[in-house]
Amino acid sequence: MSAPAEAEAPLLAMRGVVKRFGGVQALRGVDFDLKRGEIHALLGENGAGKSTLMNILSGVIEPDAGELTIDGAPARFADPRAAQAAGVATIFQELDLVPSLDVTANLFLGRELTRAGVLDRGAMRRAARTRLEAVGVEIDVDQAVGELSVGRRQIVAIAKALTYASRILIMDEPTAALTAAEVERLFKVMREIAGRGVGIVYISHRLEEVPRVADRVTVMRDGQVAGVQPADAPQSELVRLLVGRPLDELYPHRATKLGKPVLRLEQARFTPQAARPGWQAPENVTLEVRAGEIVGLAGIMGAGRTELLTALYGAAGAGKWSGVVEIDGAPARLKSIRGARGEGLGLVTDDRRGSGLLIRDTVGRNVVLTVLERVSPMFLMSGSRERSLAREAIRAFDVRPQRPEIVVGALSGGNQQKVVIAKEVIGDPRLLLLDEPTRGVDVGAKGEIYARIRELAEKGMGVLVASSEMPELLGLCDRVVVLRGGRTVMEFPGGASEHEVLAASEANEEEHA
Amino acid sequence: MSQPVTIRDSSAAPPSGRRRFDLFAVLVRFQSVIGLVLVAIGGIIFSPRRHGLILFLAPDNIANIVRAVSETGIIAVGMTFVIITAGIDLSVGALLSLSSVLTATIMTTAGWGLIPTVLFVVACGAAFGALQGVISTRFRLEPFIVTLAGLQVARGLALVISNNQYINISYGNGPGLAPPVFAILGDRLFNNIVPVATLVFVVVAVIATFVLNFTRFGRYVFAVGGNERAARLSGVPVTAVKISVYAITGLVSAIAGIVHAGQFNFGSANDGTGYELTAIAAVVIGGTSLFGGAGSMVGTVAGAVMLGALANVLQLNNINAALQLLATGAIIVLAAVLQSLVRRREGLGR
Repeated sequence: MSAPAEAEAPLLAMRGVVKRFGGVQALRGVDFDLKRGEIHALLGENGAGKSTLMNILSGVIEPDAGELTIDGAPARFADPRAAQAAGVATIFQELDLVPSLDVTANLFLGRELTRAGVLDRGAMRRAARTRLEAVGVEIDVDQAVGELSVGRRQIVAIAKALTYASRILIMDEPTAALTAAEVERLFKVMREIAGRGVGIVYISHRLEEVPRVADRVTVMRDGQVAGVQPADAPQSELVRLLVGRPLDELYPHRATKLGKPVLRLEQARFTPQAARPGWQAPENVTLEVRAGEIVGLAGIMGAGRTELLTALYGAAGAGKWSGVVEIDGAPARLKSIRGARGEGLGLVTDDRRGSGLLIRDTVGRNVVLTVLERVSPMFLMSGSRERSLAREAIRAFDVRPQRPEIVVGALSGGNQQKVVIAKEVIGDPRLLLLDEPTRGVDVGAKGEIYARIRELAEKGMGVLVASSEMPELLGLCDRVVVLRGGRTVMEFPGGASEHEVLAASEANEEEHA
Repeated sequence: MSQPVTIRDSSAAPPSGRRRFDLFAVLVRFQSVIGLVLVAIGGIIFSPRRHGLILFLAPDNIANIVRAVSETGIIAVGMTFVIITAGIDLSVGALLSLSSVLTATIMTTAGWGLIPTVLFVVACGAAFGALQGVISTRFRLEPFIVTLAGLQVARGLALVISNNQYINISYGNGPGLAPPVFAILGDRLFNNIVPVATLVFVVVAVIATFVLNFTRFGRYVFAVGGNERAARLSGVPVTAVKISVYAITGLVSAIAGIVHAGQFNFGSANDGTGYELTAIAAVVIGGTSLFGGAGSMVGTVAGAVMLGALANVLQLNNINAALQLLATGAIIVLAAVLQSLVRRREGLGR
């Protein structure tokens, strides 16, 4: 508890903020403080109310009750432009940049400088350079934003926000798509900006980032503040605040009995027919997944984790596998998705909305998508078979609410993820490939997903998990294989130290960054 | 940008677990049926009367409405499959014309007999559509472009075959005469009330409704339109499904073309112009999303009949054709706005 000893008014104070949406009480009297030059982390599971709170601060919605003061003066924003005028800016996870325009044009989008009614490109380029220098990065102002790495785009977005956010910057999960090196650079930029007196609200799912960048952390739960802590508070304490109970067993136990190898790769290499820039083909992969075993794939972004999974699944386009690629001890035919499925493979991608779900369709119709043949004897859909299979899957994964007729897009992220995984395992694959199985999923649902994956493994399924969250890999997996530049370079037992694995993953990061 | 849409916070989304009767959603789901009812009520109210008889409801008038919509209705039923996959087919009107020319030509010159002619023309239509599907999937071209080209090609073929002349069909037995039974397409059955063309429409619509809702293929169609990548990764034969839906529009266009030839007793390379737009309008009014993944066959049928009924009401009141176009345009926009409202409520943006 840091006592507010300072007499001066905080940069931002929100008091007793209340917001209802129809029957849902989204915020039940929330207090939130932000000091000048402070980086304040805001944590909370999906639905805890943190986005609602920030939407109020940035003028997207108006509160039902409560007050908001900036520099001691009461403020109330009718729309985002009013908030921007008061110096509050938000950087959303999907950056609102136009990829086809260059950096300069993006920085001045909607606020172009003109001279005599004609765009003054020269002045804008000069100002753009100054602004980027101000955040301490060198970026070519004439380059199209789409050609920049995600990390650099993030910086451009910050520079853009800073053109009108002189006082408060809200960042919504800015590190979700960044590599370790890019995260480091971003944090440096954030500290610099804060050093100039800007207050930063930093929304994140990643607990381990909090002490690295923030000064204080506010944890929200069920529309209330569960606690305010210094950033170096123990993680277990933050988790307790997040979930509302101690969560000692996030990860299930390890494998008890292993069967025969389901997948065996030895010096396996996938040569795509056409080279794709930025696509790291599996170059030399040696690994084994046994029945009942959960094997992790570690590696930095660009190491080829996703590529290995999609190539195994026959979803990487035309190409050829060479070396030993065996499923259940026999050479595997993985040329097409249908071929790989025929071999008993299932894949859950890292993008449930983009490539996992029929987002406007119901839970039931999503879940049976991979087993339509089974529920349509003689090509006719059998309603009863479909219903019973869907019910069973929904119950097994504890998708809430347990109603197959709900549109899947209306579920929370965690429940959507359960549906995606349920859809894949409903056909009883021999080998389940999981890519970022808990991305954007709150802690509670994570634990349930881990438990279910372990349960499936115990029934004899082999599981290969790629993840960028090291604690997840080390907690969930029996073994972790490290990929670097499309090659397997090292193997660790589950529960190995995070530092060792990180070191092995990033040994040559400069080359790839 | 592979994932532009994200629900920002589930606290803003409707709480899970509620089972509330959603009147708005129901209204939108049956918007074209409701629209049809409204048009019918309006028709009754504003209908001219003769000897106390409401002309709009006269059996002859009703028969006229359903006969007039049968050709575009048949096409719209096929178009529904295509649009649910998030595709479009602009070639249907031209293909109808080509099919009418083919039918008339074969009957009057080759003397193949009824069944072989019909089977051949229908097969040609399906093949033409399938070819467009193959080109579109193989070369990853927008269906809009491919079927726009298909429209030109079909129209061109029809002109070449017919030499830009009406090919009149005369009935009888002997060389150069079509089998008399073919003329039934222009008749009415059951006390001279139900047009045969409408019966064809009904049969096509019933089969299509069944296929879309109760077969594996129907589910594939929804999956391809709902999320093509997810469908592919789930083992759905996406390419085959896409080719199939264009084969279906080709097939129904051929059926409509045969009906056209039978109703009017000629084949013409200049008929069917703009039918593709009428069909698309019926589908959209019926509640099928141009974004794909959602749609209803019953809605399409009601949409097609509603457009016909509306035109009829306006004609009965001697309102000119320009106003008919304005009314149709307004209804299309209204239907699209309703769809967009539903999407926004679902938190799916766009």
